[in-house]
Amino acid sequence: MENKGNISPQEAAMANLVSQYLRVRSAADMNGSADGPHLDNDSLAAFTEGSLSEREAKPVVSHLVDCLFCRHVTAELIRLDMAFAENPVAIRSADTAEPSKVSEVLSGLFTKIFGTSDGAVFAHNEEDEDEEIKNEDSEDPK
Amino acid sequence: MPTEAKTSADLSNENREMIDLIYARCVENAPNFGVTADCFTDSLRKTIDKYVAANSPGAADAGDVDSLLAQIQSDDLFMAIACANGNERAWWEFDQNHRSYVERVARHLAKTEVDAQEVIDQVYVELYGTKIVDGERVSKFATYSGRGSLRGWLRTVIWHSLVDLHRASHDEVSLDEMTENVGEGMAHASFAEAAPGGEDEMIDHLTRERYRRATVSAIEAAFRSLEDHEKLLLLFYHVENLKLREIARLVENEGSPLRGWFQRKSQSRNDDPARRIHESTIMRWLEKSYARVLHLFKAELADQSSLSRDEIEICVGLATQDLAGNNLFKNLSTS
Repeated sequence: MENKGNISPQEAAMANLVSQYLRVRSAADMNGSADGPHLDNDSLAAFTEGSLSEREAKPVVSHLVDCLFCRHVTAELIRLDMAFAENPVAIRSADTAEPSKVSEVLSGLFTKIFGTSDGAVFAHNEEDEDEEIKNEDSEDPK
Repeated sequence: MPTEAKTSADLSNENREMIDLIYARCVENAPNFGVTADCFTDSLRKTIDKYVAANSPGAADAGDVDSLLAQIQSDDLFMAIACANGNERAWWEFDQNHRSYVERVARHLAKTEVDAQEVIDQVYVELYGTKIVDGERVSKFATYSGRGSLRGWLRTVIWHSLVDLHRASHDEVSLDEMTENVGEGMAHASFAEAAPGGEDEMIDHLTRERYRRATVSAIEAAFRSLEDHEKLLLLFYHVENLKLREIARLVENEGSPLRGWFQRKSQSRNDDPARRIHESTIMRWLEKSYARVLHLFKAELADQSSLSRDEIEICVGLATQDLAGNNLFKNLSTS
């Protein structure tokens, strides 16, 4: 804990009691919260950024009070956000890099992960993509 | 938690016009993404269903829908839809704009470079999608709603991917144990261990046991009586060990609901709603929560345990001690 500011001795005692109670309660919940439904990435991210309205956030906050897993994820995301806020990641200049084709990038990844490039994954969209690539080759980046 | 509504929200003419405007702006910003108006509207409908319709008892209010549409990260959503559709240009821009961020987040969270690289690869594969349902590839991008930023959403995707990676290599470890080993949770994994402490010989055993039970029961009841946002603040601070400045960051957004709830009656908020939230403000919110707990705690001891004022003081005195060592909560973990 950081400092306890200007609070009465009794309130300081409550802070101590609350702290102990919540830690023990959370330890007891450790094995129970993994099974239940969890917040999805979208809701977690929107809550962490403070972009939900009060009505949208209400069920999220209720869930976070009860779900150790989601609360822990949220806390980690807040830490991460804080750490990165001070050193924002630069966006690479579009002028300095060649476009990498998604099929090339992903083929490499699939080969690395599965030992083979799964052609079926691309098959349904292959024709369209080829068309788009041909069209885009003749266009400047936006 | 937000869930998919059973029926799609009816959009007013104003809502439709606003969607058309947003779409036109997105197309102007990214003309090569190949997202159709229907596809974009469908995606927004899902977002409206999830965040507005699901939380409305009756039909979704057109004003609420407008308010949501005004806050949508439309360019991020437009890119996500295009990437989900496999648009080459969109993928290139995504890679250009966000790859270094994905890599940095993964390296920040993972223990080793090998883990980080594996997570980066896995995230890209998930974003593209390997599952085929009804002949359609299911891309992770399709689950992004535009309610928050794409980068914020990516952070959670990376985090969960790292958790999955850890699970895969530690089958016997529970999900919660495992989350303690990802990110800074590692440092707080032992928070629940009881510290040793001495017996208070001033109170005999039976009396002490009675006060102990009353104290535990009262603190449980007091915590239960708090509003959810007060509970969450206390849990973030005492269990997740978030620092004051980290909590301040969470409520930095002027429209943050947590900020709204805590400052409901605040004059300073009325005077200057955009005012920056400092660590001292979070400390004040905590202090108010402790004061509320104290009030509820005393009321509970008086009403439910029928303790006198002097006895209540004894229970408050117990709270100042290192109670974990004295097994104050010895039955809590098994109850």
